Amino acid sequence: MAEQYAIEMRGITKAFGSVVANHNVELKVRQGEILALLGENGSGKTTLMNMLSGIYRPDAGEILVDGKPVSIQSPEDAKRLGIGMVHQHFKLVDVFSAADNIWMGSQEKDFLLHKSRYDRIRKVTEKFGFDVDPEKKVYNMAVSEKQTLEIVKVLYYGAKVIILDEPTAVLTVQETRKLFDVLRRMKAEGHAVIIITHKLNEVLEISDRVAILRKGEYITTVDTATTNEQALTEWMVGRKVDLNIQRPQVEKTRPLLEIRDLTIKNDEGAVAIDKVNFYIRGGEILGVAGIAGCGQKELCEAIAGLRPIQSGQMIHKGENIVGLSPKAILDKGISMSFIPEDRLGMGLAPSLSIIDNMLLKSYRDGKGIFVDRKRGREEADTVIRELGVVTPSAETPVRRLSGGNVQKVLLGREIKAGPNVLVTAYPVRGLDINSSYAIYDILNRQKKDGVGILFVGEDLDVMMALCDKIMVLCHGRLMGVVHAHKTTKEELGLMMTGALDLTGDEGRHAKGIAKDTRFGEEVEE
Amino acid sequence: MKPKQPLFHVVKRDHVSRGQLVLAYVLAVVIAVAVGAVLLTVMGVPFGAFYQKMFTLGLLDNKFAYKNVENFIKLFVPLLITSLALALAFRMRFWNIGGEGQFTLGALCAGAVAMQLGDSLPRIVVLLLMALAGMLGGGLYGVIAAILKVRYGTNETLLTLMFNYMALYLLAFFGETRGAWNFFLDPQSPRPRFMTFPEGAQMLTIPLGKFSLNVSLLVALALCAGIFVYLKYTKQGYEIAVVGDSPNTAKYAGMKVGAIVIRTVFLSAALIGLAGAFCVSSAGVLSTSLTNDVGWTGIIVAWLAKLNVLGILVASALITVLQYGAQAASVTYSSVDANFADLLQGMILFAVLAADFFTRFKLARSAHSGEVAK
Amino acid sequence: MNDTSAASILVLFLFNIIVYNIPLLYGTVGEIITEKAGSLNLGVEGTMAVGAMFGYLAGAWTDNILVGLVVSFLTAALCGLLFAVLTVSLQANQNVTGLTITTFGVGLYFFIGKGVGQNWPTMQQAPGLSAAFGEIHIPVLSDLPVVGKVLFSHNPLVYLGLAIAVLAWWYLSCTRMGLKLRAVGENPGAADSVGVNILLYKYLNLMLGSGIMGLGGFYMALNMSGSFEGSNCWVNGYGWIAIALVIFANWNPLYAILGTVVFGFFNTLQVYAGTLASAFPDGLGWLNAVPPHLFKALPFIITAIVLVVSSIRNREGSGQPAALGLNYFREER
Repeated sequence: MAEQYAIEMRGITKAFGSVVANHNVELKVRQGEILALLGENGSGKTTLMNMLSGIYRPDAGEILVDGKPVSIQSPEDAKRLGIGMVHQHFKLVDVFSAADNIWMGSQEKDFLLHKSRYDRIRKVTEKFGFDVDPEKKVYNMAVSEKQTLEIVKVLYYGAKVIILDEPTAVLTVQETRKLFDVLRRMKAEGHAVIIITHKLNEVLEISDRVAILRKGEYITTVDTATTNEQALTEWMVGRKVDLNIQRPQVEKTRPLLEIRDLTIKNDEGAVAIDKVNFYIRGGEILGVAGIAGCGQKELCEAIAGLRPIQSGQMIHKGENIVGLSPKAILDKGISMSFIPEDRLGMGLAPSLSIIDNMLLKSYRDGKGIFVDRKRGREEADTVIRELGVVTPSAETPVRRLSGGNVQKVLLGREIKAGPNVLVTAYPVRGLDINSSYAIYDILNRQKKDGVGILFVGEDLDVMMALCDKIMVLCHGRLMGVVHAHKTTKEELGLMMTGALDLTGDEGRHAKGIAKDTRFGEEVEE
Repeated sequence: MKPKQPLFHVVKRDHVSRGQLVLAYVLAVVIAVAVGAVLLTVMGVPFGAFYQKMFTLGLLDNKFAYKNVENFIKLFVPLLITSLALALAFRMRFWNIGGEGQFTLGALCAGAVAMQLGDSLPRIVVLLLMALAGMLGGGLYGVIAAILKVRYGTNETLLTLMFNYMALYLLAFFGETRGAWNFFLDPQSPRPRFMTFPEGAQMLTIPLGKFSLNVSLLVALALCAGIFVYLKYTKQGYEIAVVGDSPNTAKYAGMKVGAIVIRTVFLSAALIGLAGAFCVSSAGVLSTSLTNDVGWTGIIVAWLAKLNVLGILVASALITVLQYGAQAASVTYSSVDANFADLLQGMILFAVLAADFFTRFKLARSAHSGEVAK
Repeated sequence: MNDTSAASILVLFLFNIIVYNIPLLYGTVGEIITEKAGSLNLGVEGTMAVGAMFGYLAGAWTDNILVGLVVSFLTAALCGLLFAVLTVSLQANQNVTGLTITTFGVGLYFFIGKGVGQNWPTMQQAPGLSAAFGEIHIPVLSDLPVVGKVLFSHNPLVYLGLAIAVLAWWYLSCTRMGLKLRAVGENPGAADSVGVNILLYKYLNLMLGSGIMGLGGFYMALNMSGSFEGSNCWVNGYGWIAIALVIFANWNPLYAILGTVVFGFFNTLQVYAGTLASAFPDGLGWLNAVPPHLFKALPFIITAIVLVVSSIRNREGSGQPAALGLNYFREER
């Protein structure tokens, strides 16, 4: 008899419009094990898990729970089957107490809301070993408290299979450690745990087995004990390609953009960027590495004038640009493009045509009250031709283009504007190899033209090959700036997780350290 | 557990062709008219004859048909301009449901100019001043909600709703309160009554035989063309498109989103005020029922037309035909109320809203993932 | 004018505040339930008109107030069902759908009323109905001076309205179903993820809310003695005032009772200002100087101020559901 799994997913396929998020994916989880679901951003991990938790329904494929085929039409079905998911964006009602957030979905037959529910929930919480105040309102909770509440909620509903979507992204190191203790305890109690992550160190630390997805495809599942970071990375990013990205040597100019003691808060009011210093010179590409949510987005927005800063200075060609309007910053030649995970959120107007999107930053130019669509059309045609954008016409709404083409349109427009500082975040997100190389070429051409480029990336191999220097952020703090050709992946990885801080004295002898690490202090190159 | 599996589930559509859209809408209108026919039959009214009377506006075999057309235009122009104006605000996802109030205030301000200056200045100057006063009155009234929304996030739907009633009672106050200061009232009348405007404040007409063409119709049509060009070709129109599509992107492009919203809402409300000015100038007198519900109906028209200028022209004509036609037909068929138009209007929109669903979403066959196992 | 008649005018004024404005309470409580489910239904006016027309006709023809109540509730609930089908299942815009319900409902009201024509049943022809709507006498309480008349000798539908408001509060605040309902209105994604049946909750509560509005319409029909006029709808804008009252009451049915009294006070004052001024020339003579339109507009002015002030002071403590007016589509990306 074949081994019985807590969860078995076979041949799962799910598409959103023309984008295939999951294609023929397999997944098996045993009871009492922790399975890590590993993959880069956009590899389809969350989509797959959302099908298990009833948010999405698969287009094809089947799901088995305890060996029996099931149909999960709604979260309610998932709950009944003992599947619970802790979403990355918490699903909590802010104005409710912790207890009521649990109570609204629990199985009790009570008709009324008795005060006793607080005690009942407190008891269960304590039994599981958590510390949650049932009467505390969610809007008064810290992030880690909310996460704990989500886990308690899932356990309270009697979940046997628990899915956590990037649970450590919002946690401090200590909180992560506590979370992992919790997961181990759940495993010991016989729960099956699936943890979505793209952090290798965590995978190796916590999981029993690892399932790997790449670009929506299922790659393999391996025992954690028999694998290592190299192997996992290879599966995650694909066959080891000789990246062979060019890094032309260009005469560097003086710093174009200097950032001094910059502190920024995120939307929740927490510090996103904490007293960061760095500079970008003309003719160089400065990479920004860090795990998701370490402040890259806030940094980009601050430079573009879209986010107020708490303190510090941003000096462009000797002039402080703090407090200038986005328009004024644009006029100074600082261009920012950010590809968010949904690809359309910032930088493009999805319902408008390529032509109109070309004009987004330049429509004010020219006299008169009319928009110069003729120029827009010319620019659109150039970008379509030069970057090989696949589209029925320049009139097509951007929404209907595929991801790669959307990004080409976006980057094409930024370059057309002729900036002297180009901030670009995730420009190759979701692109195939050829398109990616086309983008790298475009960036290198800009570099040769003396443009200073800030490249926020995800793929360390690419950054090490493309960038001149790489700065690493961890929880909003600068861990150091290293020369890309001298550093190693290990060094970067250690810095990204906060294990290595080159800004202090111990960084003096590190391999790749660049002088920007300690601002203003000369270090030999 | 026995897996249950619906045959279909709902997914979002990427794109729908113009032909499908038109077909869906035509179907919606047909369904509504058919349901109306059933209702008429239940009431014992021959629906064929009723509809004929209604859709021909009672023009056939009517020697005063030209009068009917004149009155039709008086209903049509305010609705057209108001719908057009509302579409401007809706394009930015600003839920201005305060059309009634802005219309009323525009009419009141224009009326003040008419009563004060109607005799003393040349007609064309008076009419221009009335239009200007109407636009300022409506525009400033509307822009309050926009400023509060931008500044504090005040819910504009509910706030503009409140503003409607405040304007209505203000107008009623002027219409029903005697006093030496109240120049709106007719001093001769025993009961408080709005006084008819002086000749110099009445809308210009161009005589064409017996028929006199109301100049406001020409202005309204010119406005249609103007708004079309404004939205499609100007920089401000471009800003409206971007802000309406994605406020984040607009901010990123350096647009001052708040200022654009305020500017556009002002324009929208000012045009509604202008419609109010035209309306009173054509009627030649203020009245507490002067809006004829255009602030509400305009929303329905704008939505029917998908905020598209050409569509608004068609939809507002259709709705006016329904309203005016139902009035004309109910003269013959006294058991049918003139509000039958509202009933039809409602049903058409229900059908269109339902049809909209199928243009935005589609039903996809579900996967047979959960076939029942033994 | 002597003191006793002046006092009796005051008592009558207070009595009428309640009699004439209880329909606002029905409308408001119905809309609160609807909005707590996250749906902004601007169709209160039309829903009340539908409930009024069908409820009255059914009640008058059968000469039975219970039939009237049930029919007004059910027909209005059908309006709620229509709203739910369009906005919940078909994802139509809530503002537009609500307005259309009003246009449609008022249109239907006149269509039916005019259509019945000669066969119109008057209240005189329905003695049972009239009697059932009459003022009741509660032993002891009704005989108390002043309060006996003002509070304890109304028609039964006044007390039904108050009972519904209290029950609605109890339902929203003290029951599990109410908790789930509020979750749907605050964060449908969260409610959905823990297995609350969004579809069921939205449909049931939108229908329940609309049904309650319909009862308010029925009340108005009876209060107007069921006399149909071709030009004026019985509901006469009360549906819109109810929407304002929801904000004033901060989405709490108990505050809605208070709000009804406050709004009703101004509504009734507008009618009684002259009488009160002449009954109490020393204390209330100034009422004559105030234009009655101000009293009519005051509820809306107050509500607008409440709306603006609460938005300036952020959402803290506001009862406005966070997802009000937003449609929920589970597979939204």
